[in-house]
Amino acid sequence: MSSVTIKNVRKSYGNLEVVHGIDLTIEDGSFVVLLGPSGCGKSTLLRMIAGLESVTGGDIEIQGRRVNNVHPKDRNIAMVFQNYALYAHMKVKDNMSFSLQLAKRPKAEIDEKVKWAAKILNLKPYLDRYPRELSGGQRQRVAMGRAIVRNPAVFLFDEPLSNLDAKLRVQMRTEIKELHERLKTTTVYVTHDQIEAMTMADKIVILRDGYIEQEGSPLEVYDKPANLFVAEFIGSPSMNLLKGEVTSNGVLLGEGTTLPLPPVHKAALGQKVVYGIRPEHFTFGSGAPAKVVVVEPTGPEMHIYADMGGQEICAITQDRVSLTRDEIFHLQPRLDKVHLFDATSGKALA
Amino acid sequence: MESSRPLRIVRDVTAVTVVGIFMFPIFWWALTSIKPISAIFDKDRVNFFDFTPTFINYGVTLFGQSRSQLAIDQGIGMGVGGAEAYDSRQSIMESVIVSLGATAITMAVAVFAAYAISRMMFRGRSHYLNWVLGQRFMPPIAILVPLVTIYKTAGLRDTDNLYMGYFGLMMIYALMNLPIAVLLMKSFLDDVPKDVDEAAMIDGATRFQTFRKVVLPMVKGGIAASAVLVFIFSWTEFLLSLFLTTEIRTVPVKIQTFVTSTGNEWGFIAALGTAAIIPSFVFILLVQKNLVRGLTLGSLKE
Repeated sequence: MSSVTIKNVRKSYGNLEVVHGIDLTIEDGSFVVLLGPSGCGKSTLLRMIAGLESVTGGDIEIQGRRVNNVHPKDRNIAMVFQNYALYAHMKVKDNMSFSLQLAKRPKAEIDEKVKWAAKILNLKPYLDRYPRELSGGQRQRVAMGRAIVRNPAVFLFDEPLSNLDAKLRVQMRTEIKELHERLKTTTVYVTHDQIEAMTMADKIVILRDGYIEQEGSPLEVYDKPANLFVAEFIGSPSMNLLKGEVTSNGVLLGEGTTLPLPPVHKAALGQKVVYGIRPEHFTFGSGAPAKVVVVEPTGPEMHIYADMGGQEICAITQDRVSLTRDEIFHLQPRLDKVHLFDATSGKALA
Repeated sequence: MESSRPLRIVRDVTAVTVVGIFMFPIFWWALTSIKPISAIFDKDRVNFFDFTPTFINYGVTLFGQSRSQLAIDQGIGMGVGGAEAYDSRQSIMESVIVSLGATAITMAVAVFAAYAISRMMFRGRSHYLNWVLGQRFMPPIAILVPLVTIYKTAGLRDTDNLYMGYFGLMMIYALMNLPIAVLLMKSFLDDVPKDVDEAAMIDGATRFQTFRKVVLPMVKGGIAASAVLVFIFSWTEFLLSLFLTTEIRTVPVKIQTFVTSTGNEWGFIAALGTAAIIPSFVFILLVQKNLVRGLTLGSLKE
């Protein structure tokens, strides 16, 4: 059974349509990440699921029930906000139990649920503190605690980690993932951070300008981007995208540099294409020449930025190479990892 | 930001000078209030500290003591009569009633109005600021004469009915203070993220529960600061009180009666004036932090 079903959902503000007929099925117990740059409609979509924004067209179903006109509190959802949205004047335990108190649940049950949530989230020592006395990560855990005590059908996360510093973000990422493994509650998670999406999701939904560009498992969207936008958006450093033209020898980039075509593709001779190859999918030593611009050692690997046929590329190697500026070296793309996109439509050709 | 030493000195000196200039009248007033008449009227020099302090002026205005008696008791000569007319205890009581009442009415309306303007979309919402400014364009004296007539007709004059008189004064003060109180409260409410409302709604709170249990407690400081400001404006208001009431004599109006046909009672004026500053002073100390934040009208984010 699917937990959330979105059917041809639209959202307009006045004459401006920001979400254009989205169809999406979120399976029960899955962790779905809505990923996209700012303004792509991901937060709007999440807020429509939550009931904080009205739906202009289409239907949203939660557990098979159409909820378009159902009040947020009756949708059996819980939401974690970017800025935590804690009740500053309440202690941690009251923050977590607020929903249960409003529902007039017996005190024993409330206590038990708060204790349970506090144990899962390591918040036991902080139950009697105020949010202002907690660190960013702890506050975010309280916000999560507030969500889990209700045992909802769906968790909604709206960029919950973007207010945290880098180290804490990595840690909380793991905690949220663990929490999901443990509770198996359907989760919809909005972020613009592709690393978060890749590491946490069962399914990534990539949005742009109110349309779904691609949906699939993290490795699917990484290995088989459906179009240029996804290819560029997923992966860090991002995929090399080189403009060229298909010839009988391969793809001609300009200045006489030609890169080999993958064995199977749908490109026609003379077609303008974009040749996509991820930085880590080069073999060093043979192939097309490139001129070094900058070498960045990151520790585990070396990032080499270079000029190939007049276009900038990045290549990654785990070997310790000694290259200096303006030095010419050779790169061979791994043919099974090459992507071809139509230069005008941006659609994948291979 | 670190600044150089000479710059710091210039800054500190400037600050002290400016504060000094602003504080001097209050200091002089307080000093005058403990001077005997002989020191107040010193034609030959400016007399700062060359006098024996006396609390006659406070005794007469705040404790209803007889001036002549006190003067005799303390052996500093005879004053003129008219002791009872200077007993201001009744006036202070009336001022407290009117100011507290006006503050309560203003704040009760202002928090709801400000919440609506801060959180809800409706036609004319963006014109609110114009309305506030509009209220401030017009000096009260411009509407004074019609207002007195309206109050007379509406039975809000204290000479007709004392309670209605109180109510009338509170209402006009509330009206006068509402725009600024709403504006202040709006800025405090705007500081509470909308996400908090939404979190509460998802948690199952109704709009009113969200307002009462979540938002309102988070702006307690703001409510206190706004209330103090409204209280001070009401406490110090003179013109409307002078014209709209006869029986009720709020403190500013009472002070004005010390200017008499037989002379100005500077000592009493100074004593009651100084005493009248104290409540405002205490309240402001209590809410200082919030007041500064509120007066920037949300322009400073943490």
